[in-house]
Amino acid sequence: MGMRTELKEMASGFRWGRRPLVPRSAEPHAEPRGERAFPTAWARTTAAIAARQTILKFGMKPLLWNEVTPRVHGLDNLKGLQGPVLFVSNHTSHLDATLIMTTLPDEWQARTAVGAAKDYFFDVWWRQTFTALIYGAFPIDRAAGKGATTMARELLDDGWSLVVFPEGARSPDGHQQRFRHGASRLSIESGVPVVPIAIRGAYQAMPKGRNWPRPGRPPVSIRYGRPVFPQDEETHQELSLRMQRSIAELHDEDANTWWVALHRAERGETPSISGPTGAAWRRRWDGSRPIGRRGPGRTWE
Amino acid sequence: MPRPGFVLDVDERTPPLLVHQGEGFRMQKFPLGTRVVYPPDPLPGIRDVHAAIEHALQHPMGDSEPLPELLRAGMKLTIAIDDISIPLPPMTTPDIRQRILEHVIEMAARSGVEDVQLIVATALHRRMNASEIKRMVGERVYRSFYPNDLTNFDAEDHDALAHIGKTDHGEDVEISRRAAESDLIVYVNVNLVAMDGGHKSVAVGLASYRSLKHHHNVETMLHSTSYMDPREGHSAINDSTVRMGRLLRDSGVKIFQIETTVNSETFPKSLGFLNKREWEWGAYDQGLMMAAKRGVELSPPRMRREFYRRVEAPYRITGVNAGEVEAVHERTLANLHRQQLVEVQGQSDVLILGLPYLGPYNVNSILNPILVHCLGLGYLFNMYRNRPLVRQGGAVIMFHPVPWEFHQIHHPSYIDFFEEVLAETTDPKTIESKFEERYATDPWYTHLYRTSHAYHGVHPFYMWYWGAHGRDHAGDVIFVGGEPKSVARLGYRRADSLRDALEMAKDTVGSSPSITYFHAPPVMIADVH
Repeated sequence: MGMRTELKEMASGFRWGRRPLVPRSAEPHAEPRGERAFPTAWARTTAAIAARQTILKFGMKPLLWNEVTPRVHGLDNLKGLQGPVLFVSNHTSHLDATLIMTTLPDEWQARTAVGAAKDYFFDVWWRQTFTALIYGAFPIDRAAGKGATTMARELLDDGWSLVVFPEGARSPDGHQQRFRHGASRLSIESGVPVVPIAIRGAYQAMPKGRNWPRPGRPPVSIRYGRPVFPQDEETHQELSLRMQRSIAELHDEDANTWWVALHRAERGETPSISGPTGAAWRRRWDGSRPIGRRGPGRTWE
Repeated sequence: MPRPGFVLDVDERTPPLLVHQGEGFRMQKFPLGTRVVYPPDPLPGIRDVHAAIEHALQHPMGDSEPLPELLRAGMKLTIAIDDISIPLPPMTTPDIRQRILEHVIEMAARSGVEDVQLIVATALHRRMNASEIKRMVGERVYRSFYPNDLTNFDAEDHDALAHIGKTDHGEDVEISRRAAESDLIVYVNVNLVAMDGGHKSVAVGLASYRSLKHHHNVETMLHSTSYMDPREGHSAINDSTVRMGRLLRDSGVKIFQIETTVNSETFPKSLGFLNKREWEWGAYDQGLMMAAKRGVELSPPRMRREFYRRVEAPYRITGVNAGEVEAVHERTLANLHRQQLVEVQGQSDVLILGLPYLGPYNVNSILNPILVHCLGLGYLFNMYRNRPLVRQGGAVIMFHPVPWEFHQIHHPSYIDFFEEVLAETTDPKTIESKFEERYATDPWYTHLYRTSHAYHGVHPFYMWYWGAHGRDHAGDVIFVGGEPKSVARLGYRRADSLRDALEMAKDTVGSSPSITYFHAPPVMIADVH
């Protein structure tokens, strides 16, 4: 067999560049967990930070801005805030992390790392390298329970702000899923504030299953909220709820106006972002409703 | 807890699987639905081997006394050791035999024993050379005993043999006189496969042709199903050696048996992918495999052999047991099964085997066509309990280039066997009745066996008999990639690819046969239900 054929067979058989698959009958015999983690410390060195910021600024941002129409609001909430913080957002698309990283002010961008699922982003070498370099990402082992946040805690201690998606995975229908408590636990234990972020339109632009935004530069809105500080003796469940409420209010604010959203929040009438109940198609149908190209009307219009 | 072995069903997610083929390997795509038998992961080794040896010698099994109590000044002590045929590949130094010998000799020295002889229990295998012995026993033992008191066994030195008697089945038992007349034989064994050890150690390792021919024959081999299953009634060869061993015991030959088992870490880190399951190979493993594969393909035979000669197995010790032969061996087998047993449901129409570069009889040598036959239909085919992996009349497809090559020094009688005997017939029974006696008593082969490093004149016959059961059981034997002339001489067929081989086997097993690929080495035993 010639070298070329051999390489071709190896490439297709071993799925080079793609996620390796375990034969079905071998799944019960898969290698025990705890295999060597991909090292990511290099991605937080000064050189890697400089490279990341250059790539984000001159590569990712123009590219993203070319493919979608982003609207960014609420960055002034970060002014005067001392890091590290936890950036917590709803999660509907692969665009989310890129949107956050490209819209963060430089000084925040330099010291922010994204938590990425170990089983998804840290499987093949090129994806590991890409994720670590562009997002300063660190692996979160979704199956590790409480142990999943060990590395995040170390990074917070080192002064790194983290981007965390408490839903743990992209929403299959554009609506918010159940929040896991890892983020609130982290916030309480490390005493760092949570900055809620609401992202609207990312699902419509690039839902789960797509690897490039839809054509037509769909609008995407990212709205940073006021930091939420953990209160004394607050439980992680309570903090989680507050985080969810803040994100829902930001959604409401983005869909309507600040004024309307404030009143609704006051009355406890903020619309839920967990979507309608009922058949799965209804949730998807509702979740994929376009958000409108111009955004909410201005008060003086 | 290491993962047990298992049976994979090839699906569209399965990458090409590694198949050994002599001094090389290939990545082979198997038809969907092929069953692939994978060995268990290596068991963890004993942390403190020295303590384990000391404990085994001080707390023996069965009705044996601790070794120090069996040693006394003025006694005659013979220490016999397994030869180079196990383990495979030779293990990294220090060899476990060295470690045990050092303990035994230390105890003998402390007890004031003067008359100590070490014998490498080669039976009719080739004599090991000085450097091989030195590597196996370690520098200290070698320097203290070689060459006068550390020797290879000589089965043709009739003055140095003692006829002990006949078993109730009329089998002659003739072993080394020195061993038979010693106050104590300490046997140091390495149990790589289930046929090793037990009564076979002394009753075969230190025996002559006169004794061996009672079980190393076609009839016995045809009734050893399999000889890797030494339960009474399953292996005629084992039953015979047990009878001989018991006769030795009843005749007053005192044996202190030390048996060891190793885990399945067969290949060193540089060939680490050979120990792994393919879908768990990372980029490094894949790169290493391609580099090694290309490397051995492109290098000239001499360089290739040198590369393989340097392969040392990083085996770790999983058990050291000492004492009375049968009690020790029972524990050894349990240990071995813990590492090697894989449950398989049912037989298949086709069995696929990848034959590696090494068998027990070509360490530092060449795997000639007769040894290829023995390795495939003898060893790998017989790695089962209960029933063979392939049904009666099914096809056995083996991967090996079967080059027409022989080691002139190690295998002289093999050359004549191949040229003369196999040219006339391949039927084991005819070969046995017509040619065996002549080769076994040929003075030139005997001379080479005694003075050079040649296997005994009768050894190629044994290799042929070793595969007799597999040959009898299989309806078709096909070598993929085999040299046409040598495969034809062996009486088999050859194909260029697995697809061709399956096409050729259609006459025997039909157009959609069930297929099992036995993914060894590492060594394992399929427990077929």
